[in-house]
Amino acid sequence: MAKKILVVDDEEAVVKYMTALFEDHGYEVTAAMDGADALKILDESVPDLITLDLQMDKVWGPQFYRKMSRNEALKDIPVIVVSGLARPELAIKKAVAVISKPFDPDELVRIVREHIGE
Amino acid sequence: MSQTTILLVDDEEDIRLVLSVALSDMGYKVLTAENGKDGLSLFREERPPIVITDIKMPDIDGVDLLRMIKEEDPDTEVVMITGHGDMEVAIQSFQCEASDFITKPINVDNLEMSLQRVHERILAREKQREYTRSLESMVHRKTEELAGLESLLQRGGAEPDVEDVIYRFQRLFDDLPCYVAVMDEDLVLTAVNRKFRSDFGDREGEVCYTVLKHANAPCAECPVLMTFNTGESQEGETEITMPDGDGHHALVWTSPVRATGGDPTHVLTLYTDMAQIDRVQDHLSSLGLMVGSISHSIKGMLTGLDGGMYLLDSGLRKRNDEQVNEGLDLVKEMVGRIRKMVLDVLLFSKDRDLRKTETSVVEFAEEAARGIKALVKEHKIDFLMECPEDAGEFEVDTGLLRTAVENVLENAVDACLDEKARESHKIVFRVRGEENEVVFEVEDNGVGMDEETREKMTTLFFSSKERKGTGLGLYITNRTVQEHGGAITADSEPGRGTVFRIRVPRTSGSRGAGSGETGAPGGDVS
Repeated sequence: MAKKILVVDDEEAVVKYMTALFEDHGYEVTAAMDGADALKILDESVPDLITLDLQMDKVWGPQFYRKMSRNEALKDIPVIVVSGLARPELAIKKAVAVISKPFDPDELVRIVREHIGE
Repeated sequence: MSQTTILLVDDEEDIRLVLSVALSDMGYKVLTAENGKDGLSLFREERPPIVITDIKMPDIDGVDLLRMIKEEDPDTEVVMITGHGDMEVAIQSFQCEASDFITKPINVDNLEMSLQRVHERILAREKQREYTRSLESMVHRKTEELAGLESLLQRGGAEPDVEDVIYRFQRLFDDLPCYVAVMDEDLVLTAVNRKFRSDFGDREGEVCYTVLKHANAPCAECPVLMTFNTGESQEGETEITMPDGDGHHALVWTSPVRATGGDPTHVLTLYTDMAQIDRVQDHLSSLGLMVGSISHSIKGMLTGLDGGMYLLDSGLRKRNDEQVNEGLDLVKEMVGRIRKMVLDVLLFSKDRDLRKTETSVVEFAEEAARGIKALVKEHKIDFLMECPEDAGEFEVDTGLLRTAVENVLENAVDACLDEKARESHKIVFRVRGEENEVVFEVEDNGVGMDEETREKMTTLFFSSKERKGTGLGLYITNRTVQEHGGAITADSEPGRGTVFRIRVPRTSGSRGAGSGETGAPGGDVS
């Protein structure tokens, strides 16, 4: 069965981009436009990996992460930070990787594979 | 290397000859003039980047020539040739920003060294321009300055001493003539000092950005979050919004509060009010500020652009028409946004004098309306223009002012597009020719503006349009209107729509008050 990725980003263009990118590589993708939205989705299904934008209007990246990591069932899902902010590596220390926007799609796919396989 | 042109002005034929040969040997293209008058007209024709002029000349002397050249193009490097004992003239020249002096009798080595310095200055300036032009390099330069983010994620356990620490801080800081506040990691104000309370009221329990910024989200460069994250105190500048809506410039200093050692549980923040911000006058510093505020949105747009290209590419390979179209739309949208941002930045950087001409109000208004007709048609927005035929004429810089009016019209379209509840949207563009002024009124039934947006709409880098705006549009619009001696006002309420009013005097004797620019009159010929 295909591995599941949750894409959290409030920029529609980026959501479309990453959805197509991951789907092309055989993953199943769900998307959330902000942290609040993402938390709702997590109530229903648990993905294998999450890509997380930082700057979002409702419940931004770090807040989302704090909330999800308090939940036993969710806290070990690998999170990749994908952000245009400067020094995004400071935001979420436990992120498995931090990618700056604009990003190299091959690099992103490589990191995803590294963590959850094909 | 391309040949640099030097204009040499000296009334002595021998010197002209000798220096011409020497300069040509150094690789310059040399133009010569034998007096100030000829020198000036040659300068106007050729615009050489470097001028070498003798000081003592009949009629227009070197200092006068220097002054006139600097007035026309302050970037020209002017090297003065001076005899011994010309101290007073030399000082005068320096005050007029001469680049260098060489003394007679002229030593060619000294001349070459002097020109070397001049070149370095030109290069440095070009480099600086390059910076402002190349958005990407600006992004890199400012990357370090953009603040980091919160990383305080897990925190547990009771902290019994916190209250006590805060209480002691509060007593200590109550008498300070600045604002002191203590925030927790969700940026909630847990304690404030007396001055804070007297100016902002009892706001404990609210988040700092609501109270101090009238904003709905934390600032991107929040020094408090940075302090939580690094455990170190931070210093910086920020703008705080007073309860009456005035923006005040403030210095911020933060310090972590550790109750029992270990990670900070709270951050103490001290704001020193630096008096009201008038307008951003220092061009370079405002550009610097801009870099910080736009770099994030540029990165977003570039990512979006990448996304569009990817969809296009992947769609083509899979022969998926829908995806191809989606990709095309995305690319189009992103290119449009980037274009708009670059234009805004260029317009913002452009500091030129108004070029006013007598213009028919009706023609002006029709021209401005033409700019958005396609847009309203595309989005099926009703557009109505009311302009009396006898609105008369006014004296304005048509290009600049039209951009300003178009900007307000475009904002009205955006406001309509953002409003989802109504079935139909309408924009009315009213023009009134009053006795001494012309009034342009743009009324829409779009989303309207909340308090924060109304207060800050014309401030630099404020944008209500999230990633889509540079925060420059209305700032530039406002500046243009003010330079015409006019004013912009807005009536608006969320959900009701907005009426923007631009008033422009029919003739304005002077540039708008408070523009404060000393700029270069007529310097920009490009």
